Amino acid sequence: MADLDALLPNGNYRSRTRTAVTDVTGAEVAQLSSVPTLLVTRAMDTLRDTDPMELDKRLAALRYAGELFATGSVDGMPAEEYFLLAARIGGLPITVIREGAEVAARRLAQIGDSISLARPHGAVADWRDARTCKGSAVWTRRGEVFSVHASGTHPGAHSLWPEALALGYRVAVRPTRREPLTPYRMVAALRAAGFGPDQVVLLPTDQAAGDAILAGADLAYGGDDIIRKYADDPAVLQQQPGRSKILITEDVDWRDYVDVIVSSVANHAGGGCVNTTGVLVEGDPTPLAEAVASRLAELPSLPPEHPDAVLPVQQLASAQALDRFLRSKAEGTRSWLGGDGILHDLGDGSAVLRPAVHQVDRPDSPQLGAEMPFPCVWIGPWIRADGIEPLQDTLVLTVATEDERLVDQLMAEPGIGNVFVGRHPTHWTEPGLPHDGYLADFLMRTKSVIRG
Amino acid sequence: MTDILDLPFDVTPDPDEFIKAAMEWHFNPETGSPFWLRKAETLDFDPRADVKSHHDLWLFPNVTNELRDVPARDLLPRAYGIGDVLGVFESGGTTGAPKRVLCTKDWMAKLLDWSCANLDLFGFPQDADWLGVLPTGPHIVGELFRRSAAARGGLGFTIDLDPRWVKKVIAQGRQREADAYAEHLIDQLEFVLRTQPIGVLTITPPLLERLARRPELVDLVNDKVKAIRWGGTQLDQDTRDVYKNDIFPDVTLYGHYGSTMILGIAGERAGLTDDDPCVFDTFSPYVTFAVIDPKARRPVPYGERGQVVMNHVSKALFLPNNLERDLATRIEPLPGKVGDAVAGIAPVTRFEEEEVIEGVY
Repeated sequence: MADLDALLPNGNYRSRTRTAVTDVTGAEVAQLSSVPTLLVTRAMDTLRDTDPMELDKRLAALRYAGELFATGSVDGMPAEEYFLLAARIGGLPITVIREGAEVAARRLAQIGDSISLARPHGAVADWRDARTCKGSAVWTRRGEVFSVHASGTHPGAHSLWPEALALGYRVAVRPTRREPLTPYRMVAALRAAGFGPDQVVLLPTDQAAGDAILAGADLAYGGDDIIRKYADDPAVLQQQPGRSKILITEDVDWRDYVDVIVSSVANHAGGGCVNTTGVLVEGDPTPLAEAVASRLAELPSLPPEHPDAVLPVQQLASAQALDRFLRSKAEGTRSWLGGDGILHDLGDGSAVLRPAVHQVDRPDSPQLGAEMPFPCVWIGPWIRADGIEPLQDTLVLTVATEDERLVDQLMAEPGIGNVFVGRHPTHWTEPGLPHDGYLADFLMRTKSVIRG
Repeated sequence: MTDILDLPFDVTPDPDEFIKAAMEWHFNPETGSPFWLRKAETLDFDPRADVKSHHDLWLFPNVTNELRDVPARDLLPRAYGIGDVLGVFESGGTTGAPKRVLCTKDWMAKLLDWSCANLDLFGFPQDADWLGVLPTGPHIVGELFRRSAAARGGLGFTIDLDPRWVKKVIAQGRQREADAYAEHLIDQLEFVLRTQPIGVLTITPPLLERLARRPELVDLVNDKVKAIRWGGTQLDQDTRDVYKNDIFPDVTLYGHYGSTMILGIAGERAGLTDDDPCVFDTFSPYVTFAVIDPKARRPVPYGERGQVVMNHVSKALFLPNNLERDLATRIEPLPGKVGDAVAGIAPVTRFEEEEVIEGVY
């Protein structure tokens, strides 16, 4: 049984009050400590009183931390053991965890380049830069202390916020109780790699102490219950559902896009905000829905630690709740896959969430935005007269078209986060590219500086 | 017959003899209060004949809600004169309109004797001045505070806090205002702590946390204060560890759990280790608790969680079966005492259709 301590400025902290962390069968696999408000406020005060390390040291530590996270032993836990345990707790397939960790390592290694790409063209990174002698914009932090309230169970959820450390913030991470192992490993790796314990802390807490984390930070980001409560606060950046989509116009052959659609829906076990939720096709969506359904039906039902697992697993009770939710959501649609249930009971208290494909008859069907934590896609018809309104509120849009005028419109639409033109799955990304805008857009501002 | 009601604090009466005497006192037309004498006419039993033991207190209905409206004078047993009254006190007002009780001088004297004896067990200093950040009125805790300081040879400095206002502000989502008020209280506390020889600090756990965020105040407390008496809301064990180990290592921490409706407090049990939860014992048999399953109206087993029912039985007041807003773990009482001890107090989140908000109190 693992003990997941809090990681405070003066070291590991193990509370008397602890919460059980369970695997997908409901078996207890770890005990998570809980930091009382008193220690939260002291930790936040310490972060504020600490100066950031030098930039080159920060970047070197981030690179090393990424290596440790993905391949090393952190707090005595080898990487393979972490992959296995994270898969058993969060229910994502072990290959997804492993790949996610590799991506995280790559992101952390290139974080210096990434933040340079995010910096406005006219701004320098340091006021000491010679350009400020004649007058220049300088890129500066909007605050000193950043709090992270990530709710995801994918390692990728903990590979974006380290940018804040690169930018000189001190960071407090509140792990989700559902899967605290990944944020624990990331913070422990950052510390082992050279960040002082007064630079980055892990604060598992109840609600009240969670409020104190947010109150003690200048800026906050994430998607947990605390963040949702303060979502209207301009100092809070809320992670939203992605509702990512694919649009195919009639001047391209949809058959060339079946691979892209299947990958967009099901890659990384289909639970991410960059996985496709809705597909709109100009013309009859029926053959496309049929083709996608037959491909997704082939995916095997396996426990998360199996090397061939590709689908997510949850405790039976929560899986059943999702199944019921999907059925009520799908009323009035045509089911191609999963209409008679999406569960595959593994018989040990857990169940595989199998893919679902439904056909809707209008481009403004509410189901097109119904994002689920497993491969689930809603496919519907679209004509030019519908315009791009059905595509608003989309994190990633892949568009298959020869119509540049349409691409112009999609680029200009503020409700679309990212636009991929051609055969690129919606989960495609590279370090240095914005996910939902650059995180640095939220963390940084520019100042005019002249000196000498 | 009434002698048994007038015993010194350290002589524990036989609990059943005590109850019989109390019934005779409160339900005899010569001595009882107008409130209870009226009430007795509506009961389907005769308290003087039928209530023979502590356990029989269950026969009585919970009349606490009537204390929101009844003229406070009607609560005074006829055998007392108005000159025997120390004051009229009100409940927190957490759950709607406040409830009122009268406290007599003889009860306060006995309660103080009992309370001071417990403070001695925890090594509270004599002749030290006290500083309390607490409601000075209309709740009983302020009165008890000043008299405790005086009884132990000290001056009682108070910073008034209005818990009803804080709870209202928090209920309206005006957290910033609540924070500003709390900081204002700490600012005031600092003036006294800086200039006066304060040996005992009485404070609520949320305010103690704010104090602990100011290093200069932590130093002042460590320099001057021998004992911190906390109450009003709970102090969890993890937080208590931090105070004991890191912040106030040489200061005695002592908790009390009070309610105006019992005219007093339950005090922390002495002699436990740091690994034990903080256990509160009542001034039994005058004040007794029961930890019950409110639906079944039955005590929960020892070690289990339930809702707290409070009884006050003294010459001054009879108030049985007051179902409080708090949840607690039922703990065995000290040997020879009736009623339950409690630990791990936490408010129920909704009570009598009002949301319960803890605030700084």
